[in-house]
Amino acid sequence: MRRTFSGSRVATGLALGAWAGLFWFLLVSDRTSLYLSSRTAWLVPLGAVIASIATLGRLATARVLHPEPLGARETWLLGAMVLPVVVLLALPPATLGSFAVDRRSSASGIGSSARVVSGQIDLVDIAAARAVVDAESALRARAGERVTIEGFVTEEPGEADRFQLTRFVITCCVADATISYVTVVDAPPGGFETDEWVRVTGPIYPLGSDILVQAESIERIDAPDEPYLTP
Amino acid sequence: MALDVEPRVTQGSMPSQARRGPALLWVVALLAGTAALVRVADPSSLPWLRNLLIVFGSLLVEAMPFILLGATVSALIEVLVPSSAFARIALLPRGLQVPAAAVAGVAFPVCECGSVPVARRLAAKGLAPSAAVTFMLAAPIVNPVVVASTFVAYRGRDTLWVMVLGRLALGFLVAMTVGWVMGRIRSGELLRARMGETATSDRGPAEGRWRRFFSHLAGDAVFMTRFLIVGAALAATIQTFVPRSIVDSVASLPILSLVAMMALAFVMSLCSESDAFVAASFTAFGPASQLAFLVFGPMVDLKLTALYMGTYRRGFVRAVVIAAGTTTLVATLWIQVIWG
Repeated sequence: MRRTFSGSRVATGLALGAWAGLFWFLLVSDRTSLYLSSRTAWLVPLGAVIASIATLGRLATARVLHPEPLGARETWLLGAMVLPVVVLLALPPATLGSFAVDRRSSASGIGSSARVVSGQIDLVDIAAARAVVDAESALRARAGERVTIEGFVTEEPGEADRFQLTRFVITCCVADATISYVTVVDAPPGGFETDEWVRVTGPIYPLGSDILVQAESIERIDAPDEPYLTP
Repeated sequence: MALDVEPRVTQGSMPSQARRGPALLWVVALLAGTAALVRVADPSSLPWLRNLLIVFGSLLVEAMPFILLGATVSALIEVLVPSSAFARIALLPRGLQVPAAAVAGVAFPVCECGSVPVARRLAAKGLAPSAAVTFMLAAPIVNPVVVASTFVAYRGRDTLWVMVLGRLALGFLVAMTVGWVMGRIRSGELLRARMGETATSDRGPAEGRWRRFFSHLAGDAVFMTRFLIVGAALAATIQTFVPRSIVDSVASLPILSLVAMMALAFVMSLCSESDAFVAASFTAFGPASQLAFLVFGPMVDLKLTALYMGTYRRGFVRAVVIAAGTTTLVATLWIQVIWG
């Protein structure tokens, strides 16, 4: 008997192909870091390869002796499967911002497990200093040292000349994001808006759990290619 | 007996061209409309929408490769492992089947999304339902990758070994307890029937085997993905609209802290390979509460519940949730008494 294409199999193959396309898109457009940490970035090429193999295999075996037609219910289910792909492809590059800060815990646990304060100080070191005595001591010993830290602006209510410089720390994906921040003082009142990305340079002063950076310069910057920190 | 995942359209159920055509058009229109809406709405000016879509997308981008990996392993089991292999395991005394399945989880280093299709395939191939469920619940907790990530997350803390060994031990304990609770369930009472499932032979010629491999791979991946999408959407919605301060205030109540952490794990739907880092960030909570989070979450969460509902019969899912929840709660209560 002659084999003919099965509508159901072709449609399933195309739905898998949509997912393969999404993974390849993330890989080629360098958008993996908008969703995953550097630790789990390998999942995107893995997903791209397996989804591509599944797609090709499905389409290559779509010719059958008794083709199954594509029913209305199956069409809707496959459409629902492709819907997130369409959303993520259409979504402009975006990162979590101040809206998510109220919905996240501080990154103290992640920071403490990752490292002690050493080398160039960043917001992962700050998180470590808030959680671990050794890291706090190490940071305190470097009080007054000039640092350069990048992050986005979140408000410090009632204080016109200060704001919080915040960054999300992710371990696997954005769903596990936690926050790390420093308080920037001596900022121009009203000079910066919430969610604006800035680079702050100045001496750092750890005062217990309150860690201050006295701003010598504050420079507006574009959101970095890797907006989330990984411990 | 193996199950083919291909839908077989029976006489009388074949949709007409008239119904199929509009459905396809509506779906294409819906997809195009959604793409246009996302571009026009500009999520960057709507913080809640931006938050929702990013969390939703990140859960899918992280979990989907594990679904695909699990479906691949599942298809390989279906095609390469004869049912007789599982029949031999089934000959073991019932008391040994469950611990053996839990230990087998050590050799399967993927997170919970990948273990569901594999467990389904094992059950469909004839492994005792109690053993299949034990494997499914234990694998995401006791595998070496998760043990290592738990070690890294708690490195440098006094509670390091309580957390690493406690999680491992509780993972085995809760998974085996649920397995034993499910001991008398029969294969036919475990799995939800998929549309048009039919029996096929185990082994075929080389060409047929590849054809069946891709058939099962695609079938399992498509089947699991739709439930993953539902779970990820729910988790993203809750992460977007429920302020953490509310969750934290509930979790800080001494007696309810265990239940609250289990509820938090349920809602957050984290991957078992990353959840230790999040649990470690809840520094206000003792090791028992954090263990409750780390043991219950990989067994029962929003996205998993959606996956279970699609895979297993409703009564069975209810029993697993109750058994896993109760056992985790009782075990961690004892740990709370001992370690705080």
